[in-house]
Amino acid sequence: MVSGDGGQLYTIEGFAAALIMIITAYLVVNATSVYTAGDTHINDMQLEALGTDALKMMDTPVSSDVPSPLAEIITYTPVGNMNATFKTMFMNYTNVSGAGPIHDIQFNATYICRKDPENSITIYPLASSRNLTGGEHTVRATKWVIVDKAVCEDSEKPRAVLVEVLLWRD
Amino acid sequence: MTDDSGVLSIDFIVGFTIFLIAFIWVVSLIPGLLINLQGFTIDYDAVAYRTGVILVEDPGWPQAPVSPWESKIDNDSVVRFGLAISSDTPNILSQEKVNRFFCTTATTAFPLPFIYRVDYKEKAIFGDYPYRFNISLRDVERNANQSIGDVLPEGYGYIRRLVKIKGGSNATIDGYNFKNTDNNVTSHTFSILINTPNLYTNMTDLFYQIDPARDQIMINITNLSKMNNNITLTGITVVGNSPASSLQYTLTGNTLSLDNQIKDNTNPLDKFPQHVNDTISIKFLPSYFRGDVYNGVLDEQYYQPIYINLSFKLGSNSTFLNNSWSYPFDYNYDPANVTQPQLRDAVVEVAVW
Repeated sequence: MVSGDGGQLYTIEGFAAALIMIITAYLVVNATSVYTAGDTHINDMQLEALGTDALKMMDTPVSSDVPSPLAEIITYTPVGNMNATFKTMFMNYTNVSGAGPIHDIQFNATYICRKDPENSITIYPLASSRNLTGGEHTVRATKWVIVDKAVCEDSEKPRAVLVEVLLWRD
Repeated sequence: MTDDSGVLSIDFIVGFTIFLIAFIWVVSLIPGLLINLQGFTIDYDAVAYRTGVILVEDPGWPQAPVSPWESKIDNDSVVRFGLAISSDTPNILSQEKVNRFFCTTATTAFPLPFIYRVDYKEKAIFGDYPYRFNISLRDVERNANQSIGDVLPEGYGYIRRLVKIKGGSNATIDGYNFKNTDNNVTSHTFSILINTPNLYTNMTDLFYQIDPARDQIMINITNLSKMNNNITLTGITVVGNSPASSLQYTLTGNTLSLDNQIKDNTNPLDKFPQHVNDTISIKFLPSYFRGDVYNGVLDEQYYQPIYINLSFKLGSNSTFLNNSWSYPFDYNYDPANVTQPQLRDAVVEVAVW
């Protein structure tokens, strides 16, 4: 061993530095895919467009002499009850087969109305394909629908309710 | 050696070389990491979304009433595709626009089909990048698929839009219900009124509006043989804003079918007068009303009612289909007269790669 070798680099330090860099690079490369805000926005946008389209189609009658299916569902479903027709119809619209990828979409639908004198809102369940656990990454699709129903008020008269659907992929 | 200052040891050279190799390797990984983050799929999804919005929520350019893109004979004068019936009705598609958009089979008659990829890229996809794409429409009710583009690869940008297609209206007229009482004549005239101004004001909702300038209209007249067995259709005239003119059926894309046999006006044997046994079917394309009957009218508010007059000559005197002394058959919103336009579910899918 030579004297006066303080501050010198040796093979072992070179190995150590190289190993640290390689391990760091390995960890970065193998880490969970890094999504930028732009990436998640695209996926959310696709789902949101689909949900909004589905609600729009459900609220569009096939001809001028029949009512809107969505308005009918809300009108004739007892307050607080789930509606199987909504579930079937919405699932058909969002999962209808096409040339694209398989659609594994789940949803939870509610409708919201405003109580006039109290100026408060009440949320009623409408349909659900699965219960929300809180861990899902959901997007929201909404549609104002005119219904003739005694909801939020005692009298039966046309009023606007906001149908809100939370959608997520499994 | 007692004074080794400024001397590189073998150990140091080996260690520094290992460090340098590892450093260069890690640095060389960085561009790869950045490429993954930038990701072309993001771009493709955005282009697919944009194309979906253009097709589903926009009527294209030029648009009705004067000379919409779907009626253009010169494909170069089409600026932008769009399938919606109007800019106020997103997700409601026009059958005529859909037919024109997906028609790629060569025909002898104008307009010529659009060419994949050039026309579709310029008028629907946009951008300088040489995208490949597939645009498809699935008519759920008719279980029919139409598509434009290449076969889908493994990965691609994608959007799916749910839409409804507005169908045309049609009327089936039982001729026996419209016979006159005078049985001493051989010449008869039957008139059909398409009162466009009334059709526009009586139904303002474009979803269900009967619009001769935008949607196909079909009229079937049946049961003629119950009244006479020697019937000759001598002519059909159509009167609107333009002076009365004989119907040029197949030349403008309309169809005249007598007893289920389609007549072709380009064939001398098929010109009027024509013998009829029992049924007459006339299909009017919107381009006919827009281009011929309302030729030169730049604003829909100046559209006049359309009268379609059918003239018959019988082999012998008898009562027959004739409303010349009463009112014309009104093609209106009464379901007893006319089968109203209906909306059909469909799915538009756009894949870009």
